[in-house]
Amino acid sequence: MGFFRKKYAWAFFYTILLTSFTLYAVLDTFVITRVYALAESDESDSNVSSSAEESDTQNDSDTAKKSSEQDSNSQFTEAEVVTESTYSDQNISITITEYREYDTSIYVADVYVSSVEYLQTAFAQSSYGRNITESTSAIAETYNAILAINGDNYGSQRKGYVLKNGELYQETSSTDQEDLVIWEDGSFEIITEGEVTARELLENGALQVLSFGPALVMNGSVSVSESEEVGKAKASNPRTAIAVVDDLHYLFVVSDGRTDESEGLTLYQLAGFMQSLGADTAYNLDGGGSSTMYFNGQVINNPTSNGNTIKERSVSDIVYIGS
Amino acid sequence: MTLYISDLNLKKKHIEKTGFTYLLISLFCVLFGAVYEYYSHEVYSGYMIYAFVFPLAGGVLPFTVMSFYGCRRIPGRLTLNLYNAGIATLTVGSIMKGVMEIYGTTNDILQIYWIVGFGFVGIGLLLYAIRLLTDRKSAPPKDLKTGPS
Repeated sequence: MGFFRKKYAWAFFYTILLTSFTLYAVLDTFVITRVYALAESDESDSNVSSSAEESDTQNDSDTAKKSSEQDSNSQFTEAEVVTESTYSDQNISITITEYREYDTSIYVADVYVSSVEYLQTAFAQSSYGRNITESTSAIAETYNAILAINGDNYGSQRKGYVLKNGELYQETSSTDQEDLVIWEDGSFEIITEGEVTARELLENGALQVLSFGPALVMNGSVSVSESEEVGKAKASNPRTAIAVVDDLHYLFVVSDGRTDESEGLTLYQLAGFMQSLGADTAYNLDGGGSSTMYFNGQVINNPTSNGNTIKERSVSDIVYIGS
Repeated sequence: MTLYISDLNLKKKHIEKTGFTYLLISLFCVLFGAVYEYYSHEVYSGYMIYAFVFPLAGGVLPFTVMSFYGCRRIPGRLTLNLYNAGIATLTVGSIMKGVMEIYGTTNDILQIYWIVGFGFVGIGLLLYAIRLLTDRKSAPPKDLKTGPS
């Protein structure tokens, strides 16, 4: 007890203790790597939990595939055709267009696929865990992605569903968190984690759950207010978003920001822009310095964290198109 | 033991010094928060902006009041040590929470700052309250008595 009465000894001891703990907290949050699971690198290995559901999944996927082939057959080409801003083959069609809105460069990838199996997600270093990160382009190259954008950066959150390529990795919910579910038929749905469990989503045929948000467009209507922002962000920023237009027709959108050339977008501006492109359901992904679009081996936007240096930030995961 | 006027002046001076130190810490927190927010691309965190409230409300205010009103029951060393440690923990915890909010991440480990911080502040206040009650019972109102705690 006498030690607690000593002025300088106690102050010195407690300063060391507090500094050490703070250092540990910083390392634990940003540096110390923990691998919880290795991701399957071959999408054919991905599985939905029960064999009965697996059977249903196959049937639904076949139906979606046939439907898509009928609806958007004209988008595909027999042989692989690659230009600076387009890609097409028998199952994938991608067209990149750069827009200039709100003093900001916005890159839009208009994507058609013959099956939702070509819309995938991937972890950094093929591993699920904490503080495991890689640049979007590095992950994309590992998975031979044709087109990729940064994902929900699950690694920065301790709560929120992590369900990727039909595998459930984390089912700890954050009650009011709005997630985007990509179902096995390729459709999108916005759910709230407090209302449905991750396991239920998996059993009902969810292939991907993206947990960032908020939802930008729902049923063709803008679903964010002018003042709504991600977490504490109150300003224009680089943004990343994904949307579905109709069956197996998607939009990947990344905007620049924080630079003299591009101011960035508010969520409301982003939502309005995506609605104008015909988005039926659109969802905001991790933005700021994370916002990156990769196409045919190159990063096509100007990713930056501080506005001065154009450099990719390392992220936990990506959403990509690849076979 | 009897507390002489010179002892009381010494204690008062110590209280003033502690309050002034807390004022400097508060100003540092204001400056640190302002600089950090300036470079955070307008991503705001109340924990970062208002971190200065802990040393201000928990340090400057009570010690200034004590100094102005010539409080005769000065907190003992144990009480001060625990209380100061609590305010320091809460201040650092608030800044850390702000850093993580601005970065866009979370970590449950930060709860330890709140538990330890409020715990120490609570124990410090409890010890001081016990001392005030003890002194009131055991000493005549005008006698300048002080205890060892």
